[in-house]
Amino acid sequence: METEFVTVFGGLFCLGLTAGFFMHRSDFCLAGALRDLFLFRSARLIRPLVFAVAVSALLFELARLTGLLPYYPFPGFGVPAGATLVGGFVFGVGMVLTGACVVGVLYKLGGGSLLAGVGLLGLIVGSGLYAEIHPYWQPLAKASRWHEQAVTLPQLTGTSPTGWALGLAGAGFLLCAIWWQQGKWSQGYTPEGFVPLWLTAGIIAILSLLALLLSGVPMGITTSYAKFAAGVEQLFVPEHVAATEFFTARAFQLAPPPIGRVLTGGGGPQFDVIALIQYPLIVGIPLGAFFSALRLGEFKPHWKVPVGQALMVFCGGIIMAFGSRLAPGCNVWHLLGGLPLLTMQSLLFLAGLLPGAWVGSRLLQKFLV
Amino acid sequence: MSQQPVVIEKDIRGQICPSSLLLALREINQQFDRLEAGDLEIVVLTDNRDATGTIPATVENMGLHAEIEKIAGYYRVVVKK
Repeated sequence: METEFVTVFGGLFCLGLTAGFFMHRSDFCLAGALRDLFLFRSARLIRPLVFAVAVSALLFELARLTGLLPYYPFPGFGVPAGATLVGGFVFGVGMVLTGACVVGVLYKLGGGSLLAGVGLLGLIVGSGLYAEIHPYWQPLAKASRWHEQAVTLPQLTGTSPTGWALGLAGAGFLLCAIWWQQGKWSQGYTPEGFVPLWLTAGIIAILSLLALLLSGVPMGITTSYAKFAAGVEQLFVPEHVAATEFFTARAFQLAPPPIGRVLTGGGGPQFDVIALIQYPLIVGIPLGAFFSALRLGEFKPHWKVPVGQALMVFCGGIIMAFGSRLAPGCNVWHLLGGLPLLTMQSLLFLAGLLPGAWVGSRLLQKFLV
Repeated sequence: MSQQPVVIEKDIRGQICPSSLLLALREINQQFDRLEAGDLEIVVLTDNRDATGTIPATVENMGLHAEIEKIAGYYRVVVKK
């Protein structure tokens, strides 16, 4: 394999390891951030999310101004469409029922949660099921476009991204400072080896920038779940995989900066550019969390879990996978990748995610209590 | 002579987030009078690191108290007056 490919794969693997380690130490759960807001009226996990978005907005813009950012906006972010609003809503419901988002299931699985593994299975099954309805959803998604060219708010308004980025980062930092003054960052009791949430949020923002420099796009992993589903189907019904448009299309184009030439990728089982930039994160994040849990003596998978809860988590994973494909994109992709750039797709995803998480919280309370 | 409080133990290990806090709250709300009178203690066994912060913060707002101890890879949270 060429050295440049190893650089991208190995670099992203190290980023995944680091992200998994710190997410486990802080239990930095993005699903919990929105869920707890509705379930317990607690903004405790919203604060690090706001901090991560503010730091990312500043870092991404600095990288763009200094010519380090290979793309603006990033490939994979499309024009705004109503489909993203729907996808965000469905994702929000599924995320809360799963008890973790698409990245959360990885670090929780690495930390020893078997139910996170069930959620991951649901994500793979759901991604495979989506491939069946993709030809019907795609025309609807296209018809729901609100604009044909502008991807970001600065593009829509014809203004410089710098002012927007500084405004977003400034508002975020101001909020964080107010929370600090009110003592809301203090955690009270903390578990062994705890890393403050703000610190993990800052590290995740730096890792996002490094991922951008290595791959050309922010961290995202959900298409790989479809690739896993396609890989399993390939073993049993290869002719069906060959006839399924979502698995055969290679519409995604990307030139990772260290490689310097355009590579293509899609939802099929082949090892392509999507696999190159997502597989190392999917392996690295649980391994980082596993290492953290092992060091703390907390890697103790617990088998005795309520069957009903496992079923809910599995269904949640399926729903979340559907949401991420309908949108398209997951919460990490949109909130930590698109939102700092003020992509309209990510703003729509967030607008759908909030009511989705509210509905998910109501359902979760009904199922659990 | 004062009586030892009754102990109710809930093993939430392995369950999804936020089962620990939700199920602890359900129990606390059902038994609040006994907890407040000091007749009862609720013990939650959890492997959810987040719950070691959220349960104490929540019960302290209710005028109760939580003690946490790490045991063999999981946490034992005692909620009492």
